[in-house]
Amino acid sequence: MKNKLPPNVRVFAVKTRFQEMAQRPGGVPRDIAIQQAETGIESFKTEFVDWVGRELQDLTQALRKVEGDQAEKAQIDEIHQRCRQLRDTGTTMGLALLTFIADNLCRVLEAVQSGASYDTEVIECHINALFLAKQDAYRNIRPDQVPEMTSGLHRMLERANRSLPDKTG
Amino acid sequence: MTAADQKPRSLKNASVNLRDLTILIADPGTFMRRVVYGMLRGFGANRILEAGDAAGVLSALMQQKVDILILDAKLPPQDGLAVTQAIRRNVDNENRTLPILIMTSDAQQLTIREARDSGASMVVAKPMSPTTLYDRLVWIAFDRRQFIDCPTYFGPDRRFKIEGYPTGVGRRASDKSIEVSDATEPNLEQDDIDSLFQAARAGQNE
Repeated sequence: MKNKLPPNVRVFAVKTRFQEMAQRPGGVPRDIAIQQAETGIESFKTEFVDWVGRELQDLTQALRKVEGDQAEKAQIDEIHQRCRQLRDTGTTMGLALLTFIADNLCRVLEAVQSGASYDTEVIECHINALFLAKQDAYRNIRPDQVPEMTSGLHRMLERANRSLPDKTG
Repeated sequence: MTAADQKPRSLKNASVNLRDLTILIADPGTFMRRVVYGMLRGFGANRILEAGDAAGVLSALMQQKVDILILDAKLPPQDGLAVTQAIRRNVDNENRTLPILIMTSDAQQLTIREARDSGASMVVAKPMSPTTLYDRLVWIAFDRRQFIDCPTYFGPDRRFKIEGYPTGVGRRASDKSIEVSDATEPNLEQDDIDSLFQAARAGQNE
């Protein structure tokens, strides 16, 4: 038996212009479209490295605004947003080490947003690692090729998580 | 029969024609916008707009007809989900039924649910590859879900999970065709099953 709809609920079909147009024949075939997109991304790599350089400078500036260990929510949000961008674009652009460091820093900042103390040393350590990962010699390196760095950063994250307020009590 | 009425047997190798469609990318990150722009150009799109915040999105939507919005979940100043809700809830907005693809770095279940409840057509996790983005666009292009308009929600029918993701789109070869959840009740004993069958047979013979 069909369910009867309440009188204030309307259900209707929508055929958007996007659907009409996207289903037209003559589009770029799937495999070629994906290949073209990948080639396009590859051509951005040099531009990406320049952008990362500018982002790291901006990130450093944003961190300088934080006085001592007293970070305001808006400052953390801004730093976090920049880190997320580095992580998200870094993966797409194939810079594995940079992505790993940015991801670790995002986790640290998420801990800070959840109440962990803002530890300047932990943040600066990540920023230095990001600057290193941007350099030519490290650009194509995977995290597992620099185990000392990765385990050091993991320890930094653990340190941040340890300072989270205990919610069990 | 129009082209849009033709349903492909499988979406696995389906193509989309993005030529002359107006696509709006909204992301606070300049390079993320550049990457998505590059992908869409590779897919054949030739009308691509960009916005870095909610005001830019709303202004673009007021100035022209946009065919699809690719929107970051954390778009400032509030977030992309609030923008989605604002678009869907505005009864005077001609873009009200616009397909909205939400990009999110935080693909946790709660975020996905919030995106769905805001009226998003589909969610894509960042970082995304060209293949993922392409498959999501195909999915939206062939999506047959109806719209629901009620006092608490306006947007695509949210009850599509049961059918799973369309065949071939973004799935791994090892994925099951239908997701099976854990049992919530104990299995029936053989005696119970036998008695059910007996009762059914008895009913047939009457």
